[in-house]
Amino acid sequence: MEPQTFYHEDTRPHHAPTDSIIRIDHLTKVFQSKTKSVTAVDNITFNVTRGEIFGLLGPNGAGKSTLIRILTTLLRPTSGSAYVDQYEITKDPEKIRSIIGVCPQNSTLDVELTAYDNLEFYGKLVNVDDRILDARIWQLLEMTGLTDRAHVRVQTFSGGMKRKLEIVRAFIHHPLILFLDEPTIGLDPESRREVWQQITRLNEEETTIILTTHYMDEAEKLCRHIAFVDRGRLITLDTLDNLKLAIPTGDLIEIGFEAMDERLLPEIRANDQITSADIRDSKLFISAKNGSGVLPAIVAILAKYSVPMTSISIRPPSLEDVFIYLTGKKLDEGTSGDTKSSNGGNRQ
Amino acid sequence: MIKGAVAIFKRDFKKFLSNPFVIIMTLVMPIMYLVIFGNAVGGTLTHIPLAVVQEQPYNDFTPLYTSSLQGLRTLAQKDYPPTFDVLVYNDEEKAKRALQDGIVKGVVVFPSPISRDNAVRLYVDSSDYATPALIESGVQSVLVGETNPVQINKIYGDIKYIQFFGVGVIVMAIFMTTMFGGGIALIKDRELGIIEGYLVTPVKRSSIILGMIGSGTVRAFLAGFTIFIVDILITGIIVQSTEDFFLILVVLFITSLGVTSLMVSIASRFIEQQSYSSVAAFFSLILFMTSGAFYPTIGMPDWLRWITIINPEFYAVDALRSIILRGQGLNVIGMDIIALLIFSAVAITLGISTYRRTLE
Repeated sequence: MEPQTFYHEDTRPHHAPTDSIIRIDHLTKVFQSKTKSVTAVDNITFNVTRGEIFGLLGPNGAGKSTLIRILTTLLRPTSGSAYVDQYEITKDPEKIRSIIGVCPQNSTLDVELTAYDNLEFYGKLVNVDDRILDARIWQLLEMTGLTDRAHVRVQTFSGGMKRKLEIVRAFIHHPLILFLDEPTIGLDPESRREVWQQITRLNEEETTIILTTHYMDEAEKLCRHIAFVDRGRLITLDTLDNLKLAIPTGDLIEIGFEAMDERLLPEIRANDQITSADIRDSKLFISAKNGSGVLPAIVAILAKYSVPMTSISIRPPSLEDVFIYLTGKKLDEGTSGDTKSSNGGNRQ
Repeated sequence: MIKGAVAIFKRDFKKFLSNPFVIIMTLVMPIMYLVIFGNAVGGTLTHIPLAVVQEQPYNDFTPLYTSSLQGLRTLAQKDYPPTFDVLVYNDEEKAKRALQDGIVKGVVVFPSPISRDNAVRLYVDSSDYATPALIESGVQSVLVGETNPVQINKIYGDIKYIQFFGVGVIVMAIFMTTMFGGGIALIKDRELGIIEGYLVTPVKRSSIILGMIGSGTVRAFLAGFTIFIVDILITGIIVQSTEDFFLILVVLFITSLGVTSLMVSIASRFIEQQSYSSVAAFFSLILFMTSGAFYPTIGMPDWLRWITIINPEFYAVDALRSIILRGQGLNVIGMDIIALLIFSAVAITLGISTYRRTLE
């Protein structure tokens, strides 16, 4: 279906603040099949601020990719509406496609062509002026450090190199918004760091970046605002710091020991800064509002009962903790260095 | 957005050229068909062993017998060795036994003088497909030759089977290149997500399809043209005028366009190669066999001839044969061209509509 381009007098919703580059309003997508219907996106509403890196987090199958596909005009929503810049996704899909860059989860590079050819081909598809195209391609290759491999077929590239190439390819026409669907899935730690640097650099060129990921560290590292999505629903949306404040338990303290005296537990719990204290697997787990403040008191109690400590760690809650707190389940088994889900295959 | 279509065209073409192995293999197949099938089938049969005998009693040889014997011995097609190796028997039973034993392919029994009204009897090895008809016509021509000889005028000169068949192979090359080379490349692109990459760009969907059909058409045309040249070199067909040459190019182009559009519409319904390949094999078999490339379509039963009516290859083969073998012009092949154009228009419409559906 080729939706016609209508020009309404004003396509902006009047209530929307103008610094929002994406406005999603009660968006729902239901996939119908003969036997069942699956609600992949369930009544989601939120805005994305111009110029930020926005993180869409959730476990595999949460509906992140479906949401991205709707925003990039590959799918039509079942109900609700969304605006990308001033264009409505179902009314002006072609306008939207000319201001966005998309790097989907599954690679769309042509591995039988060279890096240069891939960029040149895509540049023509997104209507980059022929006169500047060549210079732009070399600029992007420079950015990714692939200059010396410009005329080498992409199939010889490492996973990280392919990913970086694909990300800059989506950026070839200086899009207003860049959609990155799981940009570092299946990459080794070194490549992931390089991709992160790349994303940060692109964001410095005033491009808004929408990033989906199920890696917590990635979102923590890059995103200003983070939206948690689970089973198609928006769980929460806030800045990283505010999300962490949402956990009432505060910092997490872990103390390792060899032999424990059970009597000290009630005494630790008596401290009103401490919200919980438990012993599991020869470790004392304590949640406290002000971790570093109460640590001396805890150490003193342990000393009083002559419990020898083998280790102490204190850390602020991670995004993962927030997610577990909010949804009651883990985001993904082993969020770091996990390659099990990397070969995500064709999920659609 | 013609720029997008051009970009897709160029990219497809670059990929096509970057894989010479596939190009060669898709061309080798039709050439093998041409050389092996064209020579194995339709060769001129000569030296067919034939027994000749006169009915008992044969005290004297009848004039019919002697003249026919002479005629059969000397019967030959122009520039070829004698058609029959005549073996004279003096016992009808012995001759028939020789036929059963496979020593001869046929027995001609001439009537004896006492029974002049009796027919000349012919026994043939009917398990053999080609020789009985040849023996029959040979014997008949010898008998008729007694009174009024038949003068045969081949109005288009001597045309060998390989020349007749070679024209069909040109069309086959177009079909094979498109169905196998082009269709599989398209499905591979889908598997690799390259098509999805197109969809998030501002290129219009009709431009995407235009680019794909465009590159496929040029590929198919080049394949058809190459085989056409090979055909000239191997089978010795001659294009009589520049006008004919351009007319051939026009037919090749329209055929390529129609077949490519058909391929796009079929391939767009498949998401993986195996099932597409089997369907493509089915189509290429049914369309090629009913195209008249092997054998004139008038020999087909009615139900099969219905397929030829909607078979674009039939019109393409007919048009090419008219131009190449008969030197005919637009006035004769006009209908073929119109049929091909209608087919192309339907296939393009189908290609665009089915392709769109899969994009959504």
